[in-house]
Amino acid sequence: MTANLYAALSAARHCAAGCTEKDEVWRSGKLRLYRYRSISGTPGAVPLLVVYALVNRPYMMDLEPDRSLIRGLLSRGLDVYLIDWGYPDGSDRFTTLEDYLEGQLVGCVDEILKVRGLDALNLLGVCQGGVFSLCFAALHPERVRNLITMVTPVDFHTSTDLLSKWARKIDVEAWVGQANVSGDVLNQLFLALMPFRLSQQKYVDLLRVPPDTARIENFMRVERWIYDSPDQAGAAFREFVVWFYQQNRFLRGGLEIGGRSVDLHNLELPILNLIGTRDHLVPPASSRALRALAGSRDFTTLELDLGHIGMYVSARAQRQVPAAIGDWLAAR
Amino acid sequence: VAADAWRQWAAFAALFNPMAHASAAGALPGSSPGFAPFLDAERFAAAARAFHQSGEDSQTAAAAFGDFLRDQFGGVLDGMWGRSAPDRSTPPPPEAAALGPTREQQERWQRLAAAWSRLQDAQRSLQRLWSDALGEAARTFVSSRGAAAAPLTPETIHRLYDAWIDSAEEAYARMAHGETFGIALAQAVKSAGEWRDESAALIESWAKWLDWPTRSEINSLSLRVRALEEKQREANRKNETAARPAGKKPTTTTAKKRTARGKRKR
Repeated sequence: MTANLYAALSAARHCAAGCTEKDEVWRSGKLRLYRYRSISGTPGAVPLLVVYALVNRPYMMDLEPDRSLIRGLLSRGLDVYLIDWGYPDGSDRFTTLEDYLEGQLVGCVDEILKVRGLDALNLLGVCQGGVFSLCFAALHPERVRNLITMVTPVDFHTSTDLLSKWARKIDVEAWVGQANVSGDVLNQLFLALMPFRLSQQKYVDLLRVPPDTARIENFMRVERWIYDSPDQAGAAFREFVVWFYQQNRFLRGGLEIGGRSVDLHNLELPILNLIGTRDHLVPPASSRALRALAGSRDFTTLELDLGHIGMYVSARAQRQVPAAIGDWLAAR
Repeated sequence: VAADAWRQWAAFAALFNPMAHASAAGALPGSSPGFAPFLDAERFAAAARAFHQSGEDSQTAAAAFGDFLRDQFGGVLDGMWGRSAPDRSTPPPPEAAALGPTREQQERWQRLAAAWSRLQDAQRSLQRLWSDALGEAARTFVSSRGAAAAPLTPETIHRLYDAWIDSAEEAYARMAHGETFGIALAQAVKSAGEWRDESAALIESWAKWLDWPTRSEINSLSLRVRALEEKQREANRKNETAARPAGKKPTTTTAKKRTARGKRKR
């Protein structure tokens, strides 16, 4: 069986992610803003902007036809935009969170609103992109109609958050210096959260059943995504670790972006918070904390029996997540 | 591994280093190998005594003393004027005072060696903790299994493997959530950063000698460009505010940033 598996993996080694047609509609530096082409007739009137994390590539949202959150959203008539932050290089080392939020994210939102002649849009923030979306919505409430957060950390000091425990002890100044942070090094850190499962068992699991082409191709796409890790702009990374992981400013206060206070109590818009109950990167308790902090009276929490990555690519997620988002937005 | 890495660094440095570490032959224990004036002084004293005690053949003794002086001090300027560095397989001892015209270079090497040593110590600490967790996992796993009642099948082997992974992850998690592991990991990250910074400083010193651009220069230029961009945005904001009719709602700061930075694709 091992020989067959090697052959199947070899045949699938060139599998690329991304299956849905999209157009680049705006760019700024390395950032690209895409709009996905509709697959269900006329798209919805209010666009949905997907804000992905900086630490991985956003094509995970559109991995393959039967594992594509984007496709699921399009099939429900949503008009989907996606931010690709690009790969930072040495010239980006002084890029700050303010640059990302008040420069690039605001630029994307303004562009969409201007072209569409709207005052506000819907935001879907994923993981670190969820943190950005929370900050953006708190700073610019007039531009966000509905906010969806997916596997988004809010309380960074929960008892089961291993990444946070480590991050709180690390001297970030010494780590980052004046450089960017290697994506490969970060990846090693993420793998070290569950080293046996993530670097051993998942490969051995491939031997359990005869290699099925679709399954192997899916595996290779995810594998490629996992190790396709952009370096992190040094200044922004330092701010993110210190402000959120070490100082937990969403809860303890004192968060400022561009000299303006970010207070989640100001979030009075409708919020849908999607939580993976088996998420090892963002513990469910970390995401649940949003309900108590946000000022919204229209707050929905949806907990799914999924892990962090499973939230976008598992078969169950394809059935549950786009439907939940589509129905929730349709009701608003 | 450490010795290999050090030898590679030393060989790499020797390729670029115009500031040779001078003659290290006979350096005093504990002194920098690149600077040995103390041993030179001892030799001078011995030669001077021999000259003064030479008796009747003072001419021969004077010639010998003169030759000694030429030999002994002939290499004093070598370190300054580019004779190639001797092959060195060990760094200067960390406790040695750096002396002479190459003292800055010696101190860089000392700092790099110290950072490397701290990194190794931190990695060894992590390795010990990792080994402890693995040992605990193995003991727990094996003690919970009796002798197999039936022959192993591929399915039972897989189940056994999964049980081992569960056991290993549980033992690892107990260790990884602990204070000791967190401190060791933080120390490893910190010392890796320090080693990188010291390596960069050393390479920058070579780059300066070769008149190559350095990362420090590029960083400095990048910050100046950022400052100029910010001034430009501020000037744009002031111009727009001045041009806006009274009573009109101001546009946001960030919208102007976008205008300055973004390009629409059609």
